[in-house]
Amino acid sequence: MRRVRVIPVIMIDSGRAVVTRRFSKPVYVGDPINSIKIFNDKEVDELVILDITDKKKQKEPDFKLIEKMASESFMPLAYGGHVTRITEAERLINCGIEKISFNTSLFAHPDVVRELSYRNGKQSVIASLDVKKNWWGQYEVKTRNGKQGVGKNLEAIVKQVLDLGVGEIFLNSIDRDGALAGYDEILVGIVARQSNVPVIACGGACTICDFVNAIKIAKASAVAAGAMFFFKGGFNAVLVNYPDQRTLTTELYTNLG
Amino acid sequence: MVAIVDYGVGNLMAIQNIIKKVGGNSVIASDPAIIQQAERIILPGVGSFGYCMERLTKQDLIPVLQEEVFGNKKKILGLCVGAQMMTEESEEGGSRGLGWVQAKTIKFDEAKVPILPHMEWTDVRFKNYTSLGRGFEEGGRFYFVHSYHFEFYQARQVLATAHFGYDFACVFQRENIFGVQFHPEKSHRFGMRLFENFLSL
Amino acid sequence: MLVEEETTTPTTLGTYRICTKTVMDTTVPGITFNEKGECNFCGYYNHLASRTVLRDPQLLQNEFDKAIDTIKKAGKNKSFDCILGISGGLDSTYLSLLAKRNGLRPLLVHFDNGWNSEKAIRNIENIVSHLGFELHTFVMDWEEFRDIQRAYFKASVVDVEVPTDQFIFAALHRLAYRNKIRYILAGNNVVSESINPEGWVYKNKLDLVNLKSIHKRYGRLKLKKLPRLGLYERYFYEAIRGIQTVNLLDLIPYRKGKVKQEIQDELGWKDYGGKHYESTFTRFYQGYYLPEKFNIDKRRAHWSNLILSGQATREEALADLAGPTYPLKDQLADRDYTIKKLGFDLSEWQTIMTAPAVTHESFDTDKNPKHQFFYLLFRAALFLPVRLLRSLSILPKPETIGSTW
Repeated sequence: MRRVRVIPVIMIDSGRAVVTRRFSKPVYVGDPINSIKIFNDKEVDELVILDITDKKKQKEPDFKLIEKMASESFMPLAYGGHVTRITEAERLINCGIEKISFNTSLFAHPDVVRELSYRNGKQSVIASLDVKKNWWGQYEVKTRNGKQGVGKNLEAIVKQVLDLGVGEIFLNSIDRDGALAGYDEILVGIVARQSNVPVIACGGACTICDFVNAIKIAKASAVAAGAMFFFKGGFNAVLVNYPDQRTLTTELYTNLG
Repeated sequence: MVAIVDYGVGNLMAIQNIIKKVGGNSVIASDPAIIQQAERIILPGVGSFGYCMERLTKQDLIPVLQEEVFGNKKKILGLCVGAQMMTEESEEGGSRGLGWVQAKTIKFDEAKVPILPHMEWTDVRFKNYTSLGRGFEEGGRFYFVHSYHFEFYQARQVLATAHFGYDFACVFQRENIFGVQFHPEKSHRFGMRLFENFLSL
Repeated sequence: MLVEEETTTPTTLGTYRICTKTVMDTTVPGITFNEKGECNFCGYYNHLASRTVLRDPQLLQNEFDKAIDTIKKAGKNKSFDCILGISGGLDSTYLSLLAKRNGLRPLLVHFDNGWNSEKAIRNIENIVSHLGFELHTFVMDWEEFRDIQRAYFKASVVDVEVPTDQFIFAALHRLAYRNKIRYILAGNNVVSESINPEGWVYKNKLDLVNLKSIHKRYGRLKLKKLPRLGLYERYFYEAIRGIQTVNLLDLIPYRKGKVKQEIQDELGWKDYGGKHYESTFTRFYQGYYLPEKFNIDKRRAHWSNLILSGQATREEALADLAGPTYPLKDQLADRDYTIKKLGFDLSEWQTIMTAPAVTHESFDTDKNPKHQFFYLLFRAALFLPVRLLRSLSILPKPETIGSTW
C-alpha cells in the first residue's frame, strides 16, 4: 500500500495566511504560525508555503516568519515566493525548508534554479506552474501571481522547466483555485504524461475522491490543497482540517489500485 | 551534546529542532574541535552521493570523523545520503564512500518500482525492538526521498527494511555506526522516537 | 485573642493556611477563615448555589423548559434560533449536545484568536459532523490581537485573558445581531466556574475602557478590525436589540464526569488536559505564566469549586496540586512558542516575567466617574424612547431566561 502524499498549502500575504479564489479575493484565515502548528500536530505528509505578497511590498522572502514556521514543523516543507537569488534559496534551506518552489524565477532567473539543483540536489527544487485557460480554451502558463503570461505551449514549457533540473512539478490550476469543485484532471493528465518527475496536482480539491481521481486517472504523484484544508461546512467556516490516517487508508491509499 | 556535522549540505536546522524537541542538546559543527567534544555525532546528507563526498572531503572532516568513530567509538547516525556515504561505494556516479560498513549503495531496480525517486511516507519494519527499534512494535512510517538504497552483504547489520516495489534495507547498525535511509527529522513522532532512541543508546 | 485574630486577618506574616474544606489557601488575596478553618469562598459558593443549582429540581426544570421554548419561539421561520460559541472545550461541547437533544437550531460560532490547539479544532470538527449544525468562524485579526496581547504582557496586569473574553463576546453579539438572533447560549456554570478570587482575574471582563487604556500605553498598532463590546455597544445589543446571553448549564444536573463520558461516547470528544487547556494560550497562561509570575495556581479555584459542588474530593485536589500544572517540558515548549508568536526577544520576556504586578485599576476603567456619568446620561436620554418603542413592539421586550448570577 503506497501512501501518496497529501499536501496542505498555506498562502501568505503580508504575513497573513489567506485562501484565494482564482488567485484573487484573498480570505483571511489567521496566523500562519498557528496554522502550521496545527497541521504539524495533525501529522500532515508535507506542506507548501507560498508567499503571494505583492513584489512592491516585499522584495525577498520573509525569513523571520519562515524560520518561525519551520521551527514548528517536523515534516518536509516547501517554500515558494520572491526567491530570485541562490543566497536566498540557501538561506531558506538553512531556516529549515527542504524544497524551494520557483514560479516566476523559472523564466526570469533560470540560472538560480539550475544552481540550486546542482548544489542541493534535484529533490530540493520544485517547478511551480500556474495555468489558466484563455478565451479560446487553451492552457496558458502564467507567472507573477497569474498576472503575466509566458506561453501557450504547455508541453514546451514543461520540457523547458524539466531541463533546468527540477525534482518535482507543482501544477496549479488558476481557474479551479479555491473553487472546491475538483481538480482540472485534463490539465494534470497532460503534464503528468509528459513529466519524468513527480507532479503534484493543486487547485480545486474538495474531497478525498478528488485525490483518488487525480492520481488514478490523471496520474499525478501527489495531491495538494488549500481551501479544502482551511474551510469546513456549508458556510466555509475557517477550521484547519486534514483527514486522519485511518480515513486516508480506507478512502485513498487502498483505492489507488 | 550531539554534533551535527556541517559540511555545507542538508537541512541542519531541522535536525537541531527535532533534537531539541526530544529534550536533547545539539550543536551544528564544521569545526573538528567541536566534533571531538561531542558525545554523539549526526552525519546528514541530501542530494547526490558524489557531491556530498566531495564536500565532506573538501571540508577536511573525514579524519576527525574516522578518529571519533573508530578511535573513540562514538555513536554516529547517518541520515539519508549521510548514511549512504558510510557504505563502500555508490552506483550514483560510481563514487567511493567512506567504507565504514560492508555495503554498497545501489540504484532502485527501475523495472520493479512505480516511479523514481521514492518520495513518500513509507512503513518501516524493524527486525527487533531494541536499540533504534525500541518502541516500534506497532511499526512506524517515515519520510523517504531517494533513488538509491543500501545493499548489505551481511543481513545481520540490517535493523529494518521498507517496501517500494520490493523490500530494501533502510536502517543499519555496525557496532557504534548507525544509518537510516529516511529523514527522521521530517517524520513527526516516528522521527522523534528514533532520535530519542539514538540519544539514549 | 489569638483565635479571633486568626479568623479576621487573612494571614499573619509568613503563616501559610489552607482551607479545611477546599484547597484555597493564603496565596488567594482576601481569603479569610472561620473557626472551623473553612474559607470565605465556601460561604460564597453556598450562597450562590442556593440561588441557582440548589433550588428545587422541578423549578430548575421549568426554567429550563421555558428557556428552550422561548428560544424556539423567537427563532421560528428563521434559519437559526440561537448562537452557540464553541471552543472545543468540555462545557461548550456539552452545550451543543444539549441543544441538539432539545431540538434547538444553533449557529455554532468558533472564535479563532490564533491560539487554537489541534485537539480543540478536532473536537469542533467532530461536533459539526456528528450534530449536523452549521459552523461559522470568527477569525481575529492576528496582528491587532497580538498587539493587544503584547500590551497586556508589558502592562504586567494579571488578567491577560481579558482581550480574548471580550472579543469572543463581542463577536457573538455582532453575529447574533447580523443574523437577527436574540439568544446566545453560554456554557458558564456555577459548579465549576463560580470561584474567581478578586486579584486573580479582572472581574469586569467587558471593560472596553480598560482594554483601550492598556493598549494605548503599550500597544503600537491602531485597532481597526476588532469587534467591540463596551458599555454603549452592550446597551445597543442588549437593551435595544434584545440580545441576551442564556446560561443553561445551571438548570440541569451538571456533573462533569458524566458529561465528559457522554461527549466522548457521542461526539468522539478528546480531552486536552486541564480546564480551558483547549487553547494553547490559556494552557500557557494558567499553567505557567500565572504561577511563575504571580504565584497564582488557578487549579486551586477549579478544584475548590468542584469540591464544593460535590464533584471532587479534597484528597484528589491535593494530590493534583502536589504536582506541576502540566509537564514542565510542555510548559517550556509553550513558553518558547508564546515568545515566538508574540515576537518578544528573550530579554523583553525576562523583563515581563520579573516586573512587579500592576492592577487593572491603575489604568482607566469604565467605572471611572467620568465614563459612568456620560453613560448614564446616554441611558437616561434613551430611557423614554426605548420604553415607548418596546410598548409599541418595535423593540423587543427584555425577558430574562436561563440562569443568572
